[in-house]
Amino acid sequence: MSTADTTPENTGGSIAGSGPEAGGAPAPEAPSEAGGEKEVGLLAELSVPLVLAAFALYLLVGLVTMDLPEGTTFPGPRFVPAIVAAGIAVLVIAQVVTVLRQRAPLAADRVRPAGRDETEGIAGTVSRRPGIAWGSFAWAVGGFAVFSVTLPFLGWVLGAALLFWCVSRAFGSRRPLLDVVIALAVSSVAYICFDMALGLSLPSGLLGGGF
Amino acid sequence: MDSVSHLLGGFGEALSLVNLLWVLVGCLLGTAVGVMPGLGSSMAVALLLPVTFALDPTAAFIMFSGIYFGGLFGDSTMAILMNTPGQASAIASTFEGHTMARSGRAPQALATAAIGAFVGGMTASVLVVFLAPWLADFSASFGPAEFFALAVFAFFATSSILADSALKGLLALALGIGISVIGIDGVSGAPRFTAGSPLLFDGISLVTVTVGMLALAEVIYVACRERFDPDRAPMRSSGRPWLSRAELKEAGPAWARGTAIGLPFGVIPAGGSELPTFLAFGLERRLDARRKDPQFGRGAIRGLAAPEAAGNSTTGMAMGALLALGLPVSATAAIMLAAFQQYGLQPGPLLFDRSPDLVWTLLASFFLAMVVLLIINLPFAQLWAKLLLIPKPYLYAGITVFCGLGIYATSPSVSDLLILLVIGLIGFMMRLADYPLAPLIIGMVLGPLAESSVREAIQSADGSPLALFEGPIVWLIYALLLAAIVFTVATRLLDARSRRRQSSRTEG
Repeated sequence: MSTADTTPENTGGSIAGSGPEAGGAPAPEAPSEAGGEKEVGLLAELSVPLVLAAFALYLLVGLVTMDLPEGTTFPGPRFVPAIVAAGIAVLVIAQVVTVLRQRAPLAADRVRPAGRDETEGIAGTVSRRPGIAWGSFAWAVGGFAVFSVTLPFLGWVLGAALLFWCVSRAFGSRRPLLDVVIALAVSSVAYICFDMALGLSLPSGLLGGGF
Repeated sequence: MDSVSHLLGGFGEALSLVNLLWVLVGCLLGTAVGVMPGLGSSMAVALLLPVTFALDPTAAFIMFSGIYFGGLFGDSTMAILMNTPGQASAIASTFEGHTMARSGRAPQALATAAIGAFVGGMTASVLVVFLAPWLADFSASFGPAEFFALAVFAFFATSSILADSALKGLLALALGIGISVIGIDGVSGAPRFTAGSPLLFDGISLVTVTVGMLALAEVIYVACRERFDPDRAPMRSSGRPWLSRAELKEAGPAWARGTAIGLPFGVIPAGGSELPTFLAFGLERRLDARRKDPQFGRGAIRGLAAPEAAGNSTTGMAMGALLALGLPVSATAAIMLAAFQQYGLQPGPLLFDRSPDLVWTLLASFFLAMVVLLIINLPFAQLWAKLLLIPKPYLYAGITVFCGLGIYATSPSVSDLLILLVIGLIGFMMRLADYPLAPLIIGMVLGPLAESSVREAIQSADGSPLALFEGPIVWLIYALLLAAIVFTVATRLLDARSRRRQSSRTEG
């Protein structure tokens, strides 16, 4: 009851399955298999410093190319950004060194319940899988990207329904037709509540007879 | 007694039918989000932030306060019934709370938690009513050096003192401040880091960052990192949802002690209510060990009552600090501050003078929210547990659609949606590697304040940075910060040493 170690294989759920093998990437939860998963952890740990290094570089280029208005006195518009960029540079180096020297399992490799750790007695309905389900990732991120680009053309009702459908697929829903119905219902209700009742402007797109 | 008459005026405003409706909507939404495992009130506030721009400020903030407190009430329900805390502040409640539920005392546990949260929140709200105007008066004399010191205190308290890894916390903080400097510089008018594109002249909107970091990143993360166990169901609770006189006598002192522990943490930027809940729990356990028949481990009502009261009293006081000083102590409070800024209001000393109607209506709505939350949580906790029946795919798909809705409603352009996606991906990476997100949000919210005060202070002293370190209040703030850092480093070293000793003992 307290720990959720059993692998849930949900096929008979009443409305939809939320099984683990979303996107065709089943991840058997065995700590001994961590050998191949180490890569993911290292990748994750190094990706954030990498992004931040790129950001610091962007700040640096901006600092050099910035046009200062006439008569700017000492702590001008460059002052704080310069400190931030320098700070990021130092911290990134320190963090990369720390990660490379680390012996303990990296954050993304640890298989533990979603709350805290076992010693604190937390176990939930959710447990972490080792590694990343790239199939789910692609459905969620790709779905949002397509939604963003096509929204003005498709309009809110169709675009949001598409997004809803993709994300529920990313979460392992395997009833495409039922999902379509629910997705259209959700996006239509949102359109009625927020566009018609609250007065936010959402695009009508195709269904509105033009774009 | 000025406060009382102001507050009565606030009640007059808040008790109107429309505002009562918003209190109710906020409380229902907050509780619903709190009940969902894994969703915290910061996500709820972030998601609703863009949508509320269609409302007038008073209604929006009344709703926010309902969500803010409702998240805590709802969290404890699931912590007790399923052993799944929605956010860190509910962890302490699971220990004895879930044990009580397992031994067949679920209704009493739920009642203890709801009343505890009510007591803590009410006490804090009363204190805020009397303290906040005083605090605002006091801080009216603050100059740029004082505000800079406060911002620095908030930066370091959230990024390095509480975070597991100080490096990661500081990196997140630096990213937040870095994002906040993009756009046209408010002092000199120079465009900064816009890459020549007019898209970035206004900077990256705080709404986009909070929604991307707290909501979209969470969806992507959960989609590819977590799996759900559909077989686990919340425990049934049946029987009387009321406490017997003996139980009340048992829980009463614990509620009081928990409230007392939680109150001071509301004004210290120490990352919210996680720390006080654990402190309250630890105190009760130590007190319990001295008794003739220790109850802890067998479902001690005190071990649940104290952390619940502590958590909510911290949350209540945090609103006081936000209103009077403009100082957010947690990610949720930072988003509320952002909401104020979106309406052109700056929380802090001047808010009480400039928009007294809004402030007092908001404070009055705290009391209403507490009463409403007690009513909708005490008898109906079991009903809320039914929310778990919503299939996870649809829940998260709905959240994603809501992200898109909010961002598109505030600025209808494809590029903003794409920026949201990029921020969501960065947030996903940060979550993957266990980076804390609160420092980023606080860095972004307080970054502009810190920058403008540092420049103002140095400029008015003709370029001397020493101006930042003048005045007794400034010294006091830095002394507190230094003490906190020394204390953290010392406890961490002690921890590491005792762990090393333990491991060498087991090896030898």
